[in-house]
Amino acid sequence: MSDNSLNNLPKGFKGMSHDMGSDQTAFKGVQWGKVMMWIFLLSDTFVFSCFLISYMKGRTSTVVDWPNTSEVFSLHVGGMPVPLLLIAIMTFVLITSSGTMALAVKYGYEKNRKMCGWLILATAIGGLTFVGMQVFEWSKLIHEGVRPWENPFGAKQFGSFFFMITGFHGTHVSIGVIFLFIYARKVFRGDFDEGKRGFFTTMKSDYVAIEILGLYWHFVDLVWVFIFAFFYLW
Amino acid sequence: MSDEHNPQNTPIEAQSSETTSGTSGTPSKDIDYVRPAELPEQDLYHGHSFITKWIFCQDAKVIGVQYFLTAVFTGIVGLVLSWLMRLQLGYPDLVPFITAEHYYQFVTMHGMIMVVYFLTALFLGGFGNYLIPLMVGARDMVFPYVNMVSFWMFFIAVCVLMASFFVPGGPTGAGWTLYPPQAILPGTPGSNMGIILMLVSLSLFVIGFTMGGLNYIITILQARTRGMTLMRMPLTIWGIFTATALAMLAFPALLVSCIMMTLDKMLETSFFMPAILQAGEVLDYGGGSPVLFQHLFWFFGHPEVYIVALPAFGIVSDLISVHARKNIFGYRMMVWAIVGIGGLSFFVWAHHMYVSGMNPWFGFFFATTTLIIAVPTALKVYNWIITLFRANIRMNTVMLFCLGFIVTFVNGGITGIFLGNVAVDIPLSDTYFVIAHFHMVMGIAPLMVIMGAVYHWFPLVTGRMLSEKLGKWHFWFTFLGAYSIYFPMHYLGFIGVPRRYFEMYDSPYVASAIGLNEFITIAALIVGFSQLIFIYNIVSSLSIGKPAGKNPWKANSLEWLTPEVPPAHGNWGEKLPVIYRWPYDFNVPGAKEDYITQTTPPSKVISAEVEKT
Amino acid sequence: MDETQKKEQATTHKIGIYLWIWGLLFLLSFFSYMVDWFAFQGFLRWTLILIFMFLKAGLIMAFFMHLYWERYALVNVLLWPMTAIVGFIILMAAEAKYTVFTRLLYFFIGG
Repeated sequence: MSDNSLNNLPKGFKGMSHDMGSDQTAFKGVQWGKVMMWIFLLSDTFVFSCFLISYMKGRTSTVVDWPNTSEVFSLHVGGMPVPLLLIAIMTFVLITSSGTMALAVKYGYEKNRKMCGWLILATAIGGLTFVGMQVFEWSKLIHEGVRPWENPFGAKQFGSFFFMITGFHGTHVSIGVIFLFIYARKVFRGDFDEGKRGFFTTMKSDYVAIEILGLYWHFVDLVWVFIFAFFYLW
Repeated sequence: MSDEHNPQNTPIEAQSSETTSGTSGTPSKDIDYVRPAELPEQDLYHGHSFITKWIFCQDAKVIGVQYFLTAVFTGIVGLVLSWLMRLQLGYPDLVPFITAEHYYQFVTMHGMIMVVYFLTALFLGGFGNYLIPLMVGARDMVFPYVNMVSFWMFFIAVCVLMASFFVPGGPTGAGWTLYPPQAILPGTPGSNMGIILMLVSLSLFVIGFTMGGLNYIITILQARTRGMTLMRMPLTIWGIFTATALAMLAFPALLVSCIMMTLDKMLETSFFMPAILQAGEVLDYGGGSPVLFQHLFWFFGHPEVYIVALPAFGIVSDLISVHARKNIFGYRMMVWAIVGIGGLSFFVWAHHMYVSGMNPWFGFFFATTTLIIAVPTALKVYNWIITLFRANIRMNTVMLFCLGFIVTFVNGGITGIFLGNVAVDIPLSDTYFVIAHFHMVMGIAPLMVIMGAVYHWFPLVTGRMLSEKLGKWHFWFTFLGAYSIYFPMHYLGFIGVPRRYFEMYDSPYVASAIGLNEFITIAALIVGFSQLIFIYNIVSSLSIGKPAGKNPWKANSLEWLTPEVPPAHGNWGEKLPVIYRWPYDFNVPGAKEDYITQTTPPSKVISAEVEKT
Repeated sequence: MDETQKKEQATTHKIGIYLWIWGLLFLLSFFSYMVDWFAFQGFLRWTLILIFMFLKAGLIMAFFMHLYWERYALVNVLLWPMTAIVGFIILMAAEAKYTVFTRLLYFFIGG
């Protein structure tokens, strides 16, 4: 990535035809792991898009009224209902964790192990907080009678789509949190500096792995942006 | 992966197909110049125990053979199921074991096995894994560990699928399309455990193929050897690459529909389930939309059939050009046709749903896009035929299978035009005409390619040739037999014989079809058993086949040019190959031989009038 | 700590840019929340929700996920498949409208 000749590459559309017409690699200077994560995320985007499209169809075609999301998702603070309060906090937490992740990637490339490791941990804590709040939200709604198969607020499909979509998103966040803790440990141990071989894949470690994990984490945040807009706000 | 191997910092410039003479300002006038390597050598894992060398092996060639054998096993199960179906259709009361429930279970499992577990796994997992690293000049796939895991995910998915035969209620009998609400309600066979296992198996399959697909795509895009531009790759790779891209984007829709149907079954959600009565009793479902499942399923389902067809298109192009000793006509347009078909395939899905009760205006849109997608497909057929025109054709088994492919694919493709038009589709929908169409175009034609490809690449994988004599017998039985099976079905469809019917009862208008059904059944049994010739050929040639030596077909592409045959782990020995041309330099005027391999530098064929590629 | 770090060019940026994007994301999230707080309805609500959503998504993809600086070829390969999703969305919206039309017709008006 630090080779000077990579700086003379044409950019923009000319760069695209240069890259695509070239031998060996179609994306100049992009490591295999990074391309892998991007294409995996593209595939995962299609998964969440299909979920959200199904939700759109289900909600548009219902003849039973859809619940009022502002009311269903409000928290009572000091006797006053604050609409979407929990969701707003969750959004804040996730965006913050995205920011710490981006900074962790930066410090990783600068080989600043301490900053990188602590920022990855901060991201993991943020993710864990998010999952905790999601669990709290689930338990609150279940307590109020919302089930996958029915709910007291309106159309049946509300509960179904809610649990399925937030469940899938929450699972993705949880998997990300696990990997964040693993990578924080690897950073603090210095695995990336030494190029220590990984446990599963036996391939040498490199700081690009943190950028790759960062891509996954930003994707999780991106999906939340869409879920927040379409499910909670709409 | 830093670039330490380019220490002189020579500028990394385009090695595009128009600059073989080095017009991009390269310093030397050397006509054999190829850009230096961008990446260091790949760090491969070498297994040493039996388990790490043959079971959990990370070598893509071994994984390819594992996929091939597993897929063929499932294909044989699917073949046996088809015999049972034909027995019922030709001789309705002959086998009492085949009840209506069993018949629908056979129909469903036959369809799902053949489309997904046999054809997709064979083309992408089998041929893809073996050929991709070899044809692009890599030592292995980019993520060998993930590749290995992907095969075992596929294996587990097959086990779960086969397990559904043994659960109470048996496998699902909902048709391979698994339409709700019937698929999860009593009355449909296997509506308890059977459908759950099917959905779980499909989900595992999708996860496994996502892992494999990442490998195929990134190896092709980012791990080619020096000189190998995208437009110098064999069409086999283009076909498999585009198919894999489609798989990455289409399987998510299948995954989503499987998950939602599983939830409908297990948690009584109503994603797809409308308010419904069952034997007079109102069920707890309500508000769901069955047609939503159909849209999700076919958003996957249509690209899926191109996932099966595109590798076949690519492979047959290479087989034809090698065995006709002629470059494929219009290589660039063939590439763009493959890519165009791939892209368009995401906009045609509802031609499977003209009679579903969807929005009536959709028929206009989808019929239009369906007819548009026929154009690049037909272009490919013309190019294959023009390639054969005045070529030096070697009429061996491989070429026979290629010709069989062209004939059956044209037949199936033309009937597709019938079905693509809404008005014509309405009377033909759900009749044997549809069955004839998709078997011709997805069953017989790609199967011809698979068989031809086996005859073609067997010498590479094993070092021995298959018997030509047995091969020709195998071809004629298969080709004529398959035509005897599926051609009459078009007539059955025209007179209105419905598909997925257990028996015809006493309806007078199909009384005339009884003889035809018997004929088709006999043909099917004969074709099925004649595959034993193929299996015998393969098994016996492993020991007594003629030793092939290196490059017995005198082909140009990289897989034949490894230092050892069969290729060893790491493929290329000490040095990676360097590419100077496309793989279609056959019968070039002025060249000494009738083929010029991809690794032959221009200085060695200075007198030949090669095309600049 | 490694003293002899090579100068990494396009891969690391000054910390300021991260803080700017972060701040913008918070601002846009706040605006999205205000759409609900002020209870806008109908077309205005949907338009605002979508605008803020796409702006946030764009910022995350371009800067946090680094796409602004990546090779144009990679950006194109990632973004063009979204047209298939857009097509799916448009068609499913039309299908949903048709479904609710038939339901209203047959359940309530009596077909």
